[in-house]
Amino acid sequence: MNDVRTKRKKFMITMSVLFILTILTFIISLNLGVVKIAPIDVFKTLIGHGTIRDKLVLVDFRLPRMILSLLIGAALAVSGAMLQGVSKNELADPGILGINAGAGLAVILFIYFFQGSMNSVTTFGIFLMPLFALAGAVLAAFLIYILAWKKGIDPVRLILVGIGVNSGFGAAIVIFQLKMNPQDFMQAAVWLSGDIWGANWKFVSILAPLILLILPFAIYKAHVLNMLNLGDQVATGLGIRVEKERRLLLLMAVALAGFSVAAGGGIAFLGLTAPHIGRKLVGPRHQLLLPVTALLGALLLLAADAIGKNLLAPTEIPVGIVVAICSAPYFIYLLMKAK
Amino acid sequence: MVSLSTEQLKIGYGDKIIVEDLNLSITKGEITTIIGANGCGKSTILKTLARVHSAHSGVVYLDGKMIHKIPTKEIAKKMAVLPQSPEAPSGLTVYELISFGRSPHQTGFGRLTEKDRRVIQWALDVTSLSSFADQAVDALSGGQRQRAWIAMAIAQETDLLVLDEPTTYLDMAHQLEILQLLEKLNKEEGRTIVMVIHDLNHASRFSHHMVALRNGKLIKEGTAEDVMTSEVLKEVFQIDAEIVQDPRTKKPVCLSYDLLQKETQGKKQKAVSF
Repeated sequence: MNDVRTKRKKFMITMSVLFILTILTFIISLNLGVVKIAPIDVFKTLIGHGTIRDKLVLVDFRLPRMILSLLIGAALAVSGAMLQGVSKNELADPGILGINAGAGLAVILFIYFFQGSMNSVTTFGIFLMPLFALAGAVLAAFLIYILAWKKGIDPVRLILVGIGVNSGFGAAIVIFQLKMNPQDFMQAAVWLSGDIWGANWKFVSILAPLILLILPFAIYKAHVLNMLNLGDQVATGLGIRVEKERRLLLLMAVALAGFSVAAGGGIAFLGLTAPHIGRKLVGPRHQLLLPVTALLGALLLLAADAIGKNLLAPTEIPVGIVVAICSAPYFIYLLMKAK
Repeated sequence: MVSLSTEQLKIGYGDKIIVEDLNLSITKGEITTIIGANGCGKSTILKTLARVHSAHSGVVYLDGKMIHKIPTKEIAKKMAVLPQSPEAPSGLTVYELISFGRSPHQTGFGRLTEKDRRVIQWALDVTSLSSFADQAVDALSGGQRQRAWIAMAIAQETDLLVLDEPTTYLDMAHQLEILQLLEKLNKEEGRTIVMVIHDLNHASRFSHHMVALRNGKLIKEGTAEDVMTSEVLKEVFQIDAEIVQDPRTKKPVCLSYDLLQKETQGKKQKAVSF
């Protein structure tokens, strides 16, 4: 009986396949865009022998955006998986829990109060907006935690409060959006539907270390997530300090979601879809689930961004909408299968 | 020797006090069963013993030490807890579930050592689940699922097992199977077991020590012969029970019973009509 070993093998195969798919998508994405660049020219440019135009498009525009997609995809997916583990509910996701909406409201307020007076996106704005988004995400999470607290956190109450906070923030967003001038309204609408807009190297250099620091820590905490998934009583019986660990894991999930939202806007569904597919592939044990989910999230968002950029080129579809359009049928399929 | 004991325990939820002045002691190497009517505080007491619920006042001692002073992971090496009808996430295999029982003995990433694997295999064998190791827990039958959870608890390798209604929702044969497994663990490995079960005849047959509660108060404790009497059952369950000796096990069994309340209600009605 070597159940764990067969599972490990399956896990290794899954990871390898996902990794190869990601690399392939990455290479294809490099070639695609308003400006098509042949693979050989991509290669030349990357080793420093390309034309100036190719270098500009590839290194300054395309690469940072793709790397951000990978990072955000992985972060959102792992955040969703962690929230689902902590809340014992497979439908939890940063979008449903109001964390995205919190970040969204902060950004809307930012655009409403500051952007209008600055009339275009300044460097100052580019870096301030994600900070606002992050603050909004943390504030929303804090609010949900406080409101759901009643001598400890009951997962069901956490979800219900999250949904409530979500609609509250959603309403506030609409109020401010309706008062905006058309240009700001457009910017806000694109941001809210999820769009990797801050695509430059400075952004990557800020986000990459943050996300790449939290992801391994999340995987390190995988065994705690496993225990929490069995319910508070069993987890306590197995020696887990439930309240403390749950708070820590929630904080990590919120940070991951917050950073992602800051750079990628309100991308919904990814935190829901990726862990779901991950569970189908390797089961619910988080040591296997989290790495697979991270890779899946990265792959899905990279692919979605490539589709969004090229499907109706030169008009871009926000990546969040592509993710939503692709995820919705998957969920309807799941619902139909579950009767 | 005393494994687990309580001193002046007062437990409740919010302002509602459920248990007061409870002094219990669980002897090492014995099977102790708590019996009582629904809502009498049995589960609450088990939760408090298992440090899942905290008491308003009073102390629980584990091996002579105050339980709230011991790090929770240390407790998990001495006491395994199985709540009422636990749920496993869908798709989790039996082997994985049992492997979680090893977590108090692990550090870091939770990789299984050779010893962990041996213990898991032993837990699989003892619970006759070896051929189900690769199957998902949520796809098993009720009896198999309960065995899988018990396997997880015993893989924790603790001297003490605290089980809340391990036989509920099982048919007669499967109930007996679980209880015989627990008896075997107690006899062959000397594990101390504290549990709540509803079937009085099972409690009588399998426990060394029985504790009868009513409204959070200890009514009677002692051997099955001490507790399984019609006087005690009258007080604890408000039933008029016919107690006889089981010809096979020589333990007292409740052969038949009636509700006491009906009689009194009948009398009351008569009184009114007069």
